[in-house]
Amino acid sequence: MTTGSQHLETPQPGAGQVVLPPASPYLAPADQLRILSGLSDPALSEVGLDELLDEVLVRVQQALEVDTVAILLYDPETHQLVARAAKGIEEEVEQGVRVPLGKGFAGRIAAERVAIAIADVDHADILNPILREKRIRSLLGLPLVVEGDLIGVLHVGSLVPRIFGERDLAVLQVAAARVAPGIERARLYSALEREHRLAVVLQRSLLPRELAGVVGVGVAARYLPARDGVGGDWYDVIELPHGLVGIAIGDVVGHGMRAAALMGEVRFALHAYALEGHAPGRTLELVDRYVQTMRERPMATAAYAVFDAETGRLTLATAGHLPPIIFGPTRAGAIEVEPAAPLGAFPYGNCPEHELTLASGEMIVMYTDGLVERRGTALAQGIDDLLTMVSAAGSAEQVCRSAMRGLVPPEGLDDDVAMLVLHNLPVPAQLRMHLAADPGTLAGVRRVIRRWLRERDADSGDVNEITLAVGEACANAVEHAYSPGPAWFELDATESDGEVTIAVRDTGRWREARGDNRGRGLRIIDAAMSDVELTPTSTGTEIVMRRRLRAA
Amino acid sequence: MLADVQFDIRPHVVVATLTGEVDLSNATQICDAIGEATPNTALGVVLDLSSVDYLDSAGIHLIYRLRENLRARGQKLLLVIPSDSPVQDSLRLAAVTQHLPITPSAAEALAAFAPAEAEAAESPAKDSDRDTPQGEPAV
Repeated sequence: MTTGSQHLETPQPGAGQVVLPPASPYLAPADQLRILSGLSDPALSEVGLDELLDEVLVRVQQALEVDTVAILLYDPETHQLVARAAKGIEEEVEQGVRVPLGKGFAGRIAAERVAIAIADVDHADILNPILREKRIRSLLGLPLVVEGDLIGVLHVGSLVPRIFGERDLAVLQVAAARVAPGIERARLYSALEREHRLAVVLQRSLLPRELAGVVGVGVAARYLPARDGVGGDWYDVIELPHGLVGIAIGDVVGHGMRAAALMGEVRFALHAYALEGHAPGRTLELVDRYVQTMRERPMATAAYAVFDAETGRLTLATAGHLPPIIFGPTRAGAIEVEPAAPLGAFPYGNCPEHELTLASGEMIVMYTDGLVERRGTALAQGIDDLLTMVSAAGSAEQVCRSAMRGLVPPEGLDDDVAMLVLHNLPVPAQLRMHLAADPGTLAGVRRVIRRWLRERDADSGDVNEITLAVGEACANAVEHAYSPGPAWFELDATESDGEVTIAVRDTGRWREARGDNRGRGLRIIDAAMSDVELTPTSTGTEIVMRRRLRAA
Repeated sequence: MLADVQFDIRPHVVVATLTGEVDLSNATQICDAIGEATPNTALGVVLDLSSVDYLDSAGIHLIYRLRENLRARGQKLLLVIPSDSPVQDSLRLAAVTQHLPITPSAAEALAAFAPAEAEAAESPAKDSDRDTPQGEPAV
């Protein structure tokens, strides 16, 4: 803001407007300056735009003893001035007055970047009807300019005729000089703030709301935006056909809304291809083809793995992404992957697959570079630090917690971070499960039972038939569970000398076979197991089933 | 996604191919979806269970219900279940194998519809003929 270049101008001399010579540095009386000096208070630079503008209005009104003060901000997109704050003529703001550049009192001040004084409103070119309706007699206004850029107009008005002179202009100029940079800063900040808030909302809405609950598999994930806002990191958990679980992580380079939106596109593409049942390598190749077709082709990396909870088999493919780590009771380290190009980097890129087995109790941790990349630290060191940080964790959730606590600096992250952990939950020999009485849990229970049976050396005939019997007993518990709110049932499985004993307890009354459906279920249990006992308990019904394994 | 159904709507037969696992959580929806996808003009449905990994009593109930619903519209149901399918275990344990129209392959199921199809193609307007198609198992 260069106050020296300002001078008062009247467009039509003699028509109630007064031209004054250019303002000379003029010292206002001490009390005027004292009032305005408050505008330089450092604390004011911390407040939001609205509070800052309010403060300006109050102080200018006091210092100049005027009836009205108004601030209009320049909107470069529409080339209009928008009434943003006012005292005495609050209607200006309430009615959202917009003044085209060059038109009327404020419009001319802005377009020509001159201060204008109007002694008699009745005889001047005034666009805004509110000024007349409020019976304002005289006006003085000047442009707000920061580093050569117009940011708005500040004007004052009097209900009694008053000739605003150089001295008044000087006071107003002091106020403008003090406040204009603050307005600009606050406006930029509020725009950034808004973008930041929107980006966070967008990012949140693009990430999975809750992770698919899979019995026998522990899953946890985190997303943390960077200090300066969100980026394009993402993760996903996909329930696939045939009881498989897909886990994916990725990074779209960039920040803010654009990165978040592109991230959403890449994540949804991978999710859709994965649901089609493609293997991880092919899935990433299809995402690569998709990225190739995007108009705004992002720099993006991703890793995708399919996990079979029944066998522990994990198939992994990566596209330019950091290698996931595996750790458990007997090993810890990054998975050695053949490096493949990032998504969309080369036409017809190919993503090799890696087969490995997660032993009972082992976890796989997928993450984005923000978690392990530190300025001045080698990547290998970052990965080692991550391993050290999480080595004592006993669950997927604990891994996330430890990593966040240990690797996120107190001042926040330079880059956003996503991480996803899958835990191949151990299936103990003495199996006991507490399960939600919901049809959705049945598939997971079957998977755990199949794995438990295989670990007891059951052959495929044993596995199929016993799983069917257990499935029927659990379905019965789910169907019969009655309670307001969430209901539960329990499953115990033990094996001794080649004979398995499985008990399912529910919280409902056993009902006699109702219709063919339940009758068939009981018939299946009877036929599959050698011994079946049905016992009503104080809280529900218990069914105990036994069968000798053929291999035993 | 526990299971999926894909439909092949042929001129006279609907082939519904089921993949995945069928239990209490999805059996009713699957049954309804197959009924919805079958036009009134179809002679019947081939329900291909070759790629089903698991099917319990809720799934068996689905088969019976679907057969009832189709029968009410004068349509037939044929099941495709290979001998080594885990679905065979379920049907055997529930002791319903004898009561269901099972063929080992989709080709055989379609072949069973062929005579009726040929007849329908000759006289497409004669809807009443559909109740007595020739040369296929009564369902």
